[in-house]
Amino acid sequence: MMNARWSVYLVRSATTAAPFALAIAIGAVVLAATGHEPLAVYQLMVEEAFGGERRIAATLTAATPLLLTGLAAAVAFRAGIFNVGAEGCFYLGGMAAAVVGYASPNWPSTLLIPLALAASGLVGGAWLLGPGVLRARLGVDEVVTTLMLNFIAVDLTSWLVNGPLLARGSANSATPQIVSNAELPRLLPPSTLHLGFVLSLSLVVAYGFWGRFSVEGFRSRLVGLSARFSRAVGIDPLRIFVGVMVASGVIGGLAGGIHVLGLVHRFVAGFSPGYGFTGVAIALLARNSAFGVALAAILFGALSSAGANIQLFSNVPLEIVEILQGAVMIFAVAQFGFGWAGHRLGP
Amino acid sequence: MIDLFLHAAILTTTPILLAAIGGLVNRIGGLVNLGLESMMLAGALVAVEVSSAASSAALAIVAAGAIGAVVGLTMSLVITRLRANEIIVGLGFTVAVAGLVRYLLKSLYGVSGTYNPPGVVMLPRLDIPFLDGVPIVGAILSRQDALTWFAWAMVPAVAFALTRTRWGLRLRATGSAEATVRAVGLAPLRIRDISTLFAGAMAGLAGAYLSIGIVGLFNEGITGGRGFIALAAFYFGRMSPARTALGALLFGFFDAAQIRLQGRGVPAELVQTLPYVIVIVVLTGLGVADWRAARERTL
Repeated sequence: MMNARWSVYLVRSATTAAPFALAIAIGAVVLAATGHEPLAVYQLMVEEAFGGERRIAATLTAATPLLLTGLAAAVAFRAGIFNVGAEGCFYLGGMAAAVVGYASPNWPSTLLIPLALAASGLVGGAWLLGPGVLRARLGVDEVVTTLMLNFIAVDLTSWLVNGPLLARGSANSATPQIVSNAELPRLLPPSTLHLGFVLSLSLVVAYGFWGRFSVEGFRSRLVGLSARFSRAVGIDPLRIFVGVMVASGVIGGLAGGIHVLGLVHRFVAGFSPGYGFTGVAIALLARNSAFGVALAAILFGALSSAGANIQLFSNVPLEIVEILQGAVMIFAVAQFGFGWAGHRLGP
Repeated sequence: MIDLFLHAAILTTTPILLAAIGGLVNRIGGLVNLGLESMMLAGALVAVEVSSAASSAALAIVAAGAIGAVVGLTMSLVITRLRANEIIVGLGFTVAVAGLVRYLLKSLYGVSGTYNPPGVVMLPRLDIPFLDGVPIVGAILSRQDALTWFAWAMVPAVAFALTRTRWGLRLRATGSAEATVRAVGLAPLRIRDISTLFAGAMAGLAGAYLSIGIVGLFNEGITGGRGFIALAAFYFGRMSPARTALGALLFGFFDAAQIRLQGRGVPAELVQTLPYVIVIVVLTGLGVADWRAARERTL
């Protein structure tokens, strides 16, 4: 009995570690082939990500948007909804928060920050209401609609920021700066770590409790495990589909809003280097568990914060990080597809 | 004016069409290919490199098709043999290959973003002398290159192969009735891998067209999401090569229009969203049709 239990844990940790191990191996081949010492580069990356308070703060700052995009994906995935639309929500939520943040009078922070975040969540949720309803009512595949909506959101915000909302006198495509009262406070100045990290982490924790202890959390997991069974026991899977899709959109929008209020302080075209897609990988690696999402988000945050520095301190191109991230994504779903391996797009 | 626009529209259609035909065949074989963008990017880079090194456009095209096929096969093996989710693996390839390409540009050539080696041989344009002066027809048919002709020739060729050949039947069966294919003693996963290899090769050619057919250099943003527009085209086309070609042509027109509309008050970014909007509209329409049919059956 004990052995069986241990072997389950062993298999679980192995399946979670395997994508990272494979990605690190591929990265090592690329590094070695281009004349770098893989071990030395990786050692430098670990140092740059976790060596000292300042670097840990940078890593946690980089992990902040990923906590929420990972969460956005996880909320939907556990109910069996394959939503890849967090990227688009991130853009639109960021845009909404930036607009509220610069267009408002200089109200107190306690009013302005909740207002801006509410706007970003609202926009994100509304953006995914359509795919949710289409999936629930007409069976339209949510993967394709949410993927397409990402591209639409990127183009839409880039139009807004180049035309109607362009900051006066600004050459690059960006909105004006948000007012200082709309900025999320810094936690450890001079580092850029901001209150958004705490907000995001608490949302992830809340998700953990919701999933484990609430009725809706239980129902949505049941729907994810078997929609037919849930219907048989009187749960309406269609309502859950729409609900988790909107919830996922709200969280994706909040991720963008927090990124604007906490770090960027304005909306810039090309705002996200694929945070939404990394979030999908995070949710898959974490198998939708709250603890896993937090851990994977910090690991990916470490990758990107280390990447920025290794280019400065060695001649290894920053893009090694993208290679590693892509490889983790690929292997996150390999062999142990967590039930989605058979997912096919409809006609 | 209209001639120039038509000519440009055919030009912008070609890469979308090449990749879309590949993606269509892949999807009929049971794999939705979200990695077309990465195969296109690899093809574009290799085409420039080979064209410059070997001074041969033909060799460059072959090399671009080959690298696309290699990337496609790798992706396919992860999906079919490691039973990984095709959507995530496709997106992962898009991220990883884009990173790898930029990494290699920096570490091999010491450039970031744009790679412009000397002596790149462009794809030759084929003049059709007696059509040259003819309005509209001349603009469409003359002074196109071999890849454009190849892309359009592939439309009836693939349609024929799918419906009239043994290979086509096996491919369609692999996509829609995998168990049956296995039961008659064929290897569905191998057939699916071959269809992804084909899609990769086509996407590689599309990349070569962008780099040595149009601009003559490589840029990290050269594909500009055309792999995903190709996805939109084969979704638009559902399972038909002709409809897919129509979708590619439509999106090629949008692409050309968007380039021409820049700086004329019409927001190019909004025109760029059209292919994606159309796919959602088409899928919704299909959903409504299915729903109506289901309702009629129950009545």
